[in-house]
Amino acid sequence: MFRNQYDTDVTVWSPEGRLLQVEYAMESVKQGSACVGVRSNTHVVLGALKRSVSELSSHQKKLLEIDDHIGIGIAGLTADARSLAKYMRNECLNHKYVFGAPITPALLMGDLADKHQRTTQTYVRRPFGVGLLVAGIDPQFQTAHLYQTCPSGNMYEFYASAIGARSQSARTYLEKHYESFTEASLDDLIIHALQALVGCVSGDDELTKENGSIAFLGKDQKFTMLEGDALQPYLDRLELKNAEEEKDDDDDEEEKEGDAPQAMET
Amino acid sequence: MYDSAMPPRSKPLRSGGFNKNTSSIFDPLAGQIHNSEGYGATLGKIDHGVTENPYERRFSPYDFNGGTCVAIAGSDYAVIAADTRLSSGYEILSRDMSKLHTLTDKCILGSAGCKTDVDQLRSVLDIKMKMYHHNHRKTMTTPAVAQMLGNTLYYKRFFPYYAFNVFGGIDEEGKGAVYSYDAIGSFERTPVTATGSGQAYIIPLLDNVIAHRNRLDEKRDLLKEEVVEIVKDAFISCGERDIYTGDKVEIAVITKDGIEKTYFDLKAD
Repeated sequence: MFRNQYDTDVTVWSPEGRLLQVEYAMESVKQGSACVGVRSNTHVVLGALKRSVSELSSHQKKLLEIDDHIGIGIAGLTADARSLAKYMRNECLNHKYVFGAPITPALLMGDLADKHQRTTQTYVRRPFGVGLLVAGIDPQFQTAHLYQTCPSGNMYEFYASAIGARSQSARTYLEKHYESFTEASLDDLIIHALQALVGCVSGDDELTKENGSIAFLGKDQKFTMLEGDALQPYLDRLELKNAEEEKDDDDDEEEKEGDAPQAMET
Repeated sequence: MYDSAMPPRSKPLRSGGFNKNTSSIFDPLAGQIHNSEGYGATLGKIDHGVTENPYERRFSPYDFNGGTCVAIAGSDYAVIAADTRLSSGYEILSRDMSKLHTLTDKCILGSAGCKTDVDQLRSVLDIKMKMYHHNHRKTMTTPAVAQMLGNTLYYKRFFPYYAFNVFGGIDEEGKGAVYSYDAIGSFERTPVTATGSGQAYIIPLLDNVIAHRNRLDEKRDLLKEEVVEIVKDAFISCGERDIYTGDKVEIAVITKDGIEKTYFDLKAD
C-alpha cells in the first residue's frame, strides 16, 4: 500500500512493519535462474540451471565449492554470491587452521546469517541480492544438511528446496517426493534433482548438459561437480525414466477407457 | 628450548670470586684487596655468578628436532624419503613422527628442522593451496608449488621458518621433479638432494650412485625399485653415524598413478 514512500532506505520501516528494501532484495533472488537442493541421510545434491546471456556466451556457473564438505548453489546477483563464497571459504580455512578440524556447516550458516542481517540494519550498505542453497556434511556427526539463506538474514534448514525463477514447479515436485529421499541412493538423488530442474526451464528450452549442472557431497564423498559430458548419463537416465512413465500413463489411460463403458452401463 | 649461553670468560675479572679462595667468601675485604676494576664498591656484596663473569643469556626461538630427508628424481617417478625420529638434544621425543607431508596427489614435501616451524609451514601451504584450488578450479602443479614454497619461506626472511625442505613430485610432462631449499627460500630443481642432520653423509653417496658423478662406467637410468634400495642403504649408513637419524625410514614413491608409501626399520640406538 505504502510501497513507494518507505522503500528508499533499508533502515526505514513501512507502516505495515516491513523492510521494503529487504523484500526487494528477495525479489532479486526470484529473478535468478533455478537452483534446487535435495538431501538424503548420507548425501546432499545441488542442481542448477545455468543461464547464458546469449548464444555466443558461456553459461554462468551457479554451483561453487566452499570446502571439501560444503558447497553452495546460488540464485540472484552472481557477484554478491561470489563475495559470500569468498567469505565462506576464508572462514572454513581459518577454522581449520585455528581448531585443526573442518568447520561445522551449522556454525558457518550462523555466521552467514548474521552477515546478511548486518546489512539490513545500517544505511551505508545494502542487503545481499542473492539466495544460497548450502549443502554440508557435519564432520563430527557425519550427517547431511541442506540450508537456505536469503537476503533478509533468515536461515532455514530443508529436506529439499528450490529457489529462483519458475522454482515453484520444482518445489511442488519435491514436496510430493521428499519423503523418499532419506534412504535414496546418490544416483537416485541426482535424478530427483534433475527431475525437479526440468520443471524450471523456460518455454521451449530443455535441460541439456550445457545448461544443467549438478554437485554432490556425502559422508565419505568430497564435493564433486558434474557438468558437461559427465552429466549426460544422468540426463539419459532421466529421459528413459520419463519415457517409461509416459508409457505407463498411456497404458493406464487405455485401461480406463476400457472400463468406462461398463461403468456407464450399470 | 635450551638457553644458548655464551661461555663464561676463561679468566675471572676478580680473583677473589666465589669459586676460588674459599676463605675469602666470608672475608668482606677479600674482594676489595684484589679488585682493581672498580666492582663491588660496597662490602659483602654477594655475587650471583653474573657480575663477576658476565655472559649473555638469550632465549632461542629455535630448537633442532633432527632427522634427515632425501629426494631423488627419476624419468617418470620421484622418490622422497625421511626418517621418523623426532629428537631434542640427546633425547628422543618420538620414534614415529613423519617428516613427509602430502601436498597434492603428485607432490610431497619433506622437512627437517624445528618441528613447530615445519608444522606451521605445512598449515600455511595447505591454506594457500586450497585457496588456489578455489580460485583456479584445479590443483596446483608441482613447479607452481615449488615456487610458492620458495616465496612463502622468503616472506619470513628476517625471522625464518627453521625448516630444511626437500620437495619432490611429478611435473607437467610426467617426469620426476625434485627441488631443494634453504631456510629462507632459495631453491633449485635438482636431480638428487638431501637435507637435515644426515645431509653430509647421504649427499656424497647419492652424488656418486645416482647422479653418477666421478664414475667412469656408463650412466644408466635407474628403475624406481633400484632407487628405493639405494635410499635404504643410504639411510642405514646415515643412521650408523648420525645420532639424530634412526628408528624408521618412510619412503614415498610418486608416479603419475599416485603415491605409494613403504616403511623400513632402522637401528633404534
